[in-house]
Amino acid sequence: MGLSNFVFPNDVHVHWSMMIALYPYITGIVAGAFIVSSLYHVFKVEALKPISRFSLLFALAFLAFATLPLLLHLGRPERNFNIMLTPSASSAMAGFGYIYTLYGVVLVLEILFIYRPTLVELKHQTKGLMKLIYTLLTFASDDLSQRSLDLDHKIIKFLAAIGIPMACVLHGYVGFIFGGVKANPTWSTPLMPVIFLLSACVSGIAGIILVYTLIRAFRHQPIDMDCLRTTTNYLAGFFIIDFAFEMLEVFSHSYLRTWYHHSVNALQMGPLFNSFWVWQVGILSVLPLLLLGYLCLTRVKDSIYRILAPLVGLMLLMQVMFMRWNVVIGGQLMSKSHRGFTVFHPEWFDREGIVAVLIVMSLPLILLFILSKIFPFWLEDEKEPAG
Amino acid sequence: MKSTYYSHVLRIVLGLVVFAAVGGIGKYLLTPKSFGTHGHYRADAIEEEASLEIRQWTNASCMTCHQHEALIHLKGLHRTISCEFCHSAYADHVKDGKNVAAMPVKKDQEIRVLCLRCHNRAIQARPKQVIKTVVMPEHLESQKVKITHICNQCHNVHAPLKYINRAKEIVGIQEKT
Amino acid sequence: MGSIQSEPNKDRRQFIKNVLKGTITGSLLLVIPAGADIEKIPEQIPGIRGKDWDMSKQNFAFIVDITVCIGCGSCVVADQREYRVPDGYYRTWVERYLKTFDDEIFVDSPDGGLEGYQTPRKDLGKPVRDTFFVPKLCNMCKDPSCVQVCPVGATFRSPDGFVLVDSKRCIGCAYCIQACPYSVRFLHPETRTAEKCTWCYHRVRKGLLPACVNVCPTGARKFGDLNDKNSEVYKILSGPGVLTVLKKDMGNYPSLYYKGLRREVI
Repeated sequence: MGLSNFVFPNDVHVHWSMMIALYPYITGIVAGAFIVSSLYHVFKVEALKPISRFSLLFALAFLAFATLPLLLHLGRPERNFNIMLTPSASSAMAGFGYIYTLYGVVLVLEILFIYRPTLVELKHQTKGLMKLIYTLLTFASDDLSQRSLDLDHKIIKFLAAIGIPMACVLHGYVGFIFGGVKANPTWSTPLMPVIFLLSACVSGIAGIILVYTLIRAFRHQPIDMDCLRTTTNYLAGFFIIDFAFEMLEVFSHSYLRTWYHHSVNALQMGPLFNSFWVWQVGILSVLPLLLLGYLCLTRVKDSIYRILAPLVGLMLLMQVMFMRWNVVIGGQLMSKSHRGFTVFHPEWFDREGIVAVLIVMSLPLILLFILSKIFPFWLEDEKEPAG
Repeated sequence: MKSTYYSHVLRIVLGLVVFAAVGGIGKYLLTPKSFGTHGHYRADAIEEEASLEIRQWTNASCMTCHQHEALIHLKGLHRTISCEFCHSAYADHVKDGKNVAAMPVKKDQEIRVLCLRCHNRAIQARPKQVIKTVVMPEHLESQKVKITHICNQCHNVHAPLKYINRAKEIVGIQEKT
Repeated sequence: MGSIQSEPNKDRRQFIKNVLKGTITGSLLLVIPAGADIEKIPEQIPGIRGKDWDMSKQNFAFIVDITVCIGCGSCVVADQREYRVPDGYYRTWVERYLKTFDDEIFVDSPDGGLEGYQTPRKDLGKPVRDTFFVPKLCNMCKDPSCVQVCPVGATFRSPDGFVLVDSKRCIGCAYCIQACPYSVRFLHPETRTAEKCTWCYHRVRKGLLPACVNVCPTGARKFGDLNDKNSEVYKILSGPGVLTVLKKDMGNYPSLYYKGLRREVI
C-alpha cells in the first residue's frame, strides 16, 4: 500500500453519494418507529401506550418521503417505474418497489383502523374541507358498534403483526443491497442486514424520544415519565445489541486477518479514522452507552432524565447517520485495486448535495406537523381513546 | 347507503383490489414486448447494440484509396500499426463512400512525441524481441546527427527502416534486399 | 549528410491528387457503392459473414498477453474513438506496474494510458528493477455479478456470451458499477446510464475484430472464435501454457484470460 496510491481509473468517482446514505436512514427511522408502536399493539407493553399512535404517524411521515432520496440519486429518475414493471428476482434493490408499496399500504391501513373511532368523532365535529377529509379517511362508514370495533381490533392486531416482518424486510433488504456486493470488502458480510436493521431500530426509537420530548416541551405539556423511561430502556437494549454487532464485524475481521481485513483496516485506520473510530465509535457510541447505563441502571431524577434522554436520542441519531455515511460513502473510498483510496467531496448545491439532504430531512417533519392537524397525536387530546 | 359493521373493510378491500388490477394491467401494457424472450431483459437490445455505427475500419479499408502508402506500410516493420491510430477514425474521413474531411497528419514535434510513445527505452518494460527502443538524445548522438532532428528526417514513418536499409545498400554495408 | 525527404515527389503527387480528386472520388463511387458497405472490407474473424448468427452457438474468447504489451496505449485511443468515451471514464485502460529491488510494487495509470507512457515515473525515489504493463477491459464473466444485481434487467448476458447494457432501460442506479469486481463499468455523464466495454459486439457481429485488438501493434490483445480450431485463441487455450484470470475467488468465471500474468496484478 503506502506510497503507491493506485485507484482503478473508474473507481475515482464515488457513485453512491449522500442520498444513498440518507435513504436507509429514513427507512430505518420508519422501521424503528413501527417497532415502538408494535411493542404496544402486539407485545402489550402498556407503558408505551401514550406514544403508540404518535410513533405510527412518525413512521408514516418518514415513509412518505422515502422515495425522494432515491429519485434524486437515479441517473434516469423518469424511468423509475421500471423497478415495478420488470423487477429482477436476483437483485436486492428490485425489491424496493413492491416492498415499499405493500408496507405503505399496511402502515396507512393500520393508522386508519386505529384512529377510526377518533376520526368518526372528528367527522361529526368538523365542517367543510376537514369534514370531507375525515369522511374519506373513514371510508364513509359511521358504524362504531361493538361488533365493528371488535372486527377493527382483530384487523389491527393482524396488521401490526405482519407489519413487523414487513418493516424488517423494508429495512433489512437495504442491508442486503450492501451485504450482497462481493466486490466490495467493506460491504460484503452476512452481518450487514443485521447491523442495518438493528441500527434502524435504534434510530427510530431515538427519533421518537427526541421528537416526543421536544413536542411536549414546546407545547408545555407533561412528559409521561413511565413511557419515556420504558422507551429509553428499549433504546438501550437495541443499541447494545447493535453496537455489539458493529464491533463484532470489525474485530472478527481483524482477528481473522484475511486479505480483506488488510484492505479494510487500511481504510478504517486511514481516511475513515476520524469518522469511524473517533466519531461513530468513540463520541457517539461509547459515550451514549455510558449515559444509557446511568439512565437505565441507576435512579435518576425526572428533571435530569428529561434532559439526558433526548440528548442520548440525538447522539444516537447522529451515530446511525455516521454509520450510514461510513458504510455507504466510506465503503466506496477504497478502490477495488486494493492499492489506494479516492476522495469524496460533498457538494453544496448538487442534486445529491448538502442542501438537498437538509431539505429531504426536514420534509418529513413538516408532514408530521400537517398530520398532527388531522390525526391527534396524544390520547388525552381525544374524547374516546381506543385501539 | 347504510353502513354495516364491516362496510369500511369491504370498501378498503375493494379499493385494494382495484389498485392491484390497475397496477397489473399497467405492468402488462408498459413492459416492452421483447422482454423475457431470452432472459430477464429486453431482447431487442441485442440487435440495437449490434447495429451501432462502426467508426474505425481496418487498414485494408484505408488501403483501397491510399495504395502508395499501403505498399510502403505493408513491407515495413510498422505494418502491425493501425493507420487510424495516427490518422484518426475512418468514420470521420469517409461517409457513404465520400471523403468528408481531411485527416490529421502529424508534423514536427508531434512526430517525435508519437514515436517515443512506443520506442522510448526509459520506460523499460519493452522487451527487445517485441520492439526496438532507443534512448534520446543518445540515439541521435550515436548516429552523428543533430539532436534537434525529428525522427522522420531519417525514418519513413510508414516503414521506419526503408531509408535506413536503402542507405546501407548504397553505402555498401548491406546487401540489396 | 543532408536530411532525406520523407516523401519523394511529394509536391507532384499532391498536385495530381488535387486535380484528380473529383475523378478519383467519382470512380470510387463505382467501386464502393454509396452506403459504403463494410462487408467489402475483408473479414478479420473467419466464418461470421454470410451466415445466420446463431446466438446459442457462439463462443468467443479474449486473451491478453502481458509479455508483449509495450504500453503504447493504442488500444485506449481506439476504444475512445470508437465509442466517443468521455474524458475521465474508461472502457479499457492500461496499467503500469513498477517493481523495486525490495519487491515493492507501484502501480499507475495516467488517464488510463490514453497518452501512452511517455516518461518514466520519477516520484519513487528508488531504483526500479522491473516494469510491465497490464491492459484491462471487461472480463465478460460467465456468472456476472453486475447482471445479478441489476434491478430492472437493463444489463444481461446475451445467449452468445456477451454481457451488454440496454441503455434504454437503465435507470442509472449504479448498482452494477458497485458490483463489478474489476471496475470496468461507469456511469456515462451525459446519458446517465451505465456503460462498459462490450468486446465491440457491433464489430464482431460483422466479422471484424474489436477495435483495441485491431490496433494492437504487438499482439498483446487477441480475440477469436473458439469454434474455429485454427484460431490463435483456440490454440492458446487448448495448449499447455499457463493462462490465468483476474480475481478468480470472486466466482464470476471470467472469459478474459491473461497470458503471462504476474502475481502482483489484482
